[in-house]
Amino acid sequence: MTQIRPIRAGGTAAVWLFVGFCLFAFAFMILSSFKDSTQILNSPWSLPSTLDFANWARAWDSAGFGTAAINTVVLVVSASVVVVGISAPAAYALSRRRTRVANGLTMLFVLGLGIPLQVIVLPLYQVLAEIGLIDSLFGLFLVYVATQLPFTVFLLTGFFRSLPSELEEAAALDGLTAGGTFFRIMLPLAKGGLVTALLLTAISLWNETLLGLMFIQDTEKYTLSLALIGFIQQQQYNGADYGALFAGVSITILPMLVLYAWLGRRITEGLTEGVGK
Amino acid sequence: MATPLETRQRRIFGLFVALPLLVYLALFIGPTVYSIYAGFTNWDGIDPPRWRGTRNYTRLVSDPQFITSFGNTLLILFGVGVAVFVLSFSFMLILRDMRGKGFVRGVIFMPHIVSPIVLAIFWGFLLRHDGLLNAAIVKMGGQPVAWIGPKSAFLMIMVALVWTSTGFYVAILMAGVDRIPKYFYEDAELAGASAWQRLRHVTLPLSWDVVGVAAVLWTISSIKIFEFIYAFGAAGGYMPPDYEWNTAVFVYGVTVGGANPLNRFGYASASAVLMLFLVTALVALLRRAMRREAVQF
Repeated sequence: MTQIRPIRAGGTAAVWLFVGFCLFAFAFMILSSFKDSTQILNSPWSLPSTLDFANWARAWDSAGFGTAAINTVVLVVSASVVVVGISAPAAYALSRRRTRVANGLTMLFVLGLGIPLQVIVLPLYQVLAEIGLIDSLFGLFLVYVATQLPFTVFLLTGFFRSLPSELEEAAALDGLTAGGTFFRIMLPLAKGGLVTALLLTAISLWNETLLGLMFIQDTEKYTLSLALIGFIQQQQYNGADYGALFAGVSITILPMLVLYAWLGRRITEGLTEGVGK
Repeated sequence: MATPLETRQRRIFGLFVALPLLVYLALFIGPTVYSIYAGFTNWDGIDPPRWRGTRNYTRLVSDPQFITSFGNTLLILFGVGVAVFVLSFSFMLILRDMRGKGFVRGVIFMPHIVSPIVLAIFWGFLLRHDGLLNAAIVKMGGQPVAWIGPKSAFLMIMVALVWTSTGFYVAILMAGVDRIPKYFYEDAELAGASAWQRLRHVTLPLSWDVVGVAAVLWTISSIKIFEFIYAFGAAGGYMPPDYEWNTAVFVYGVTVGGANPLNRFGYASASAVLMLFLVTALVALLRRAMRREAVQF
C-alpha cells in the first residue's frame, strides 16, 4: 500500500489539472465573447470588464449566426425526430424476431457504424446533384437521417431487447394486433430509451460539419458549424472580430452545455452503455 | 408451431423495417458499394466514371501528399490511441475511489459533446504566436515559442486530440469497471492482495472486454477525424498545409475542398476505400486478439 500512495497523489493532481484545463477552455471561450478584439489579443487572460452583449448582437445579425442557429435547430430537430421515429419500429421488429433475415439485417445496420463517412460522401454528392439537392437543407436533412440510422437502430435494438416480452404475449392473447401492441404497450415502456436516442442524435447532428461542408454552399443555408468555419475563413480579408467569433462559439456550445448540465447522466450512460454492451 | 405473438410479429416485420432499410440502402450501403467501384475509375463527380483499373491505387502509393496523409492517420490511430488509452486507464483507476468522481467524469466528458470546430478555435488561440500560452510565458519573463510550425503543428494536433478524446474513454472504461462487483475486491483484500495485485488479478482481467470495445471504437472513430484538423489549419478559403492532412482531409482536399477544387472523385474514392479496408482489417484483428473465454460476473 505504501509504495502506491505517492503515485496516487501525483495521479490525483494530474486528474485535477486535466479537469481545470477543460473548465478553463470553456470559461475562456464564453468570457471572451464579452471582450473586444484588442482586449482578447492584448490581455487574453483578463476577465471582461462589462457584461456587454454587443458582440453577441453583431454575431447574431451581421455575422449570420442567427440564421445559422435557426437552420441548425430546424434541421437537427426534424432529422432527429424522423430518425428516431423510423428507427424505433424497425429496432423493435429486429429485436423480437430471431430469424436469419432479422439477424442479417441487424448486422447490416451495425456494419454502418464502421464505415467512415469519407467513403460515402462522394457518391452521395453525385446522387444529390442528380436530384437537384446540392446546396439544399432538405438534401442535408436526408443525408443526416441516413447517416444517423446505424447508430440509432443499434442503440434501440439493444434497448428493446432488454424489455421483457411477457406483456406482449398477454396483449396478443387479449387479441391486440402487433401494431397496437407496439404503439400502445412497447412505445410507452421504451420512453427512456427513445429520449436517450433523440438526445444523442441531436447532439451529434448539432456538431456535424463534414456533410454540411460537402453539400451546402449558400451562406443563407449555413448551419452553426459552417458559420463558424466561414467566419474564421473571412477574417483573413475583413480583419479579425474575435469578440463576435467567440459570441458565435458561445451560441454554438451553450445549448449543448445546458442540455448536458440538465441531462448529462442520460447522455453519458446512453453513449457508454449502449456501446459497451 | 408459431405462437400467436410470433405470427403477429412476423406480419408487421416487413412494414416496420421497410422504410429505414430503404433509406439506409439508398443513401448509405449503395454509396459504399459505389465508392468501391469508383475507386477503379476516372471520375470528376459530374461526368460518368471511366474505368481505369488499379491505376488510382498504384498512383496513391507514390503520391507524397497521400503518403503524408496516411502517415498522419496512422500517427493518430496508434500514437494518439496509445496516449488516450494509457491516460484514460490511469484516470479510471484513480477515479475509482476518489472524492468528486462524478464531477470529474462529467467535466472531462464535455469536449465530446461540443463541435470539434469550437475546440479547434480554442486550440488555435491557445497556441498562436500571440496566444494564451505565449502570453503567460512572456508575462513570466520567457520568450514566446512558435508552437504551430511545419515541424510541430501536427504534434500539437495530436496533443489536442488526446485532450478531447480522453473523457469519452474514461467514461466507457468506468462504465465497464463499475460492473465489477465489490466483493471481488473485498475477497482479494482479505486474502492479503496488495493494490498492485488487485489491479493485476481483478481489475485488468475483468475489464478486458470493455478495453476491447474501447479499442474498436477508437479504431473506427480515429479514421473519421476531420473537423478538428480542417478547422485548425484552414485559412482564407484554402486547405490546411500539406503536413497537417490525414486521409479524411485528403478525400475532401482532392475533391471539393479548397479555393481551387480538384474534383478527383475517383482518386479520392480509392483512398477512402483503402481506409475502409484498414478499419475492417484492424477491427477483425482486434476482435481476434481480444477474444477469450468470457468471465461471468
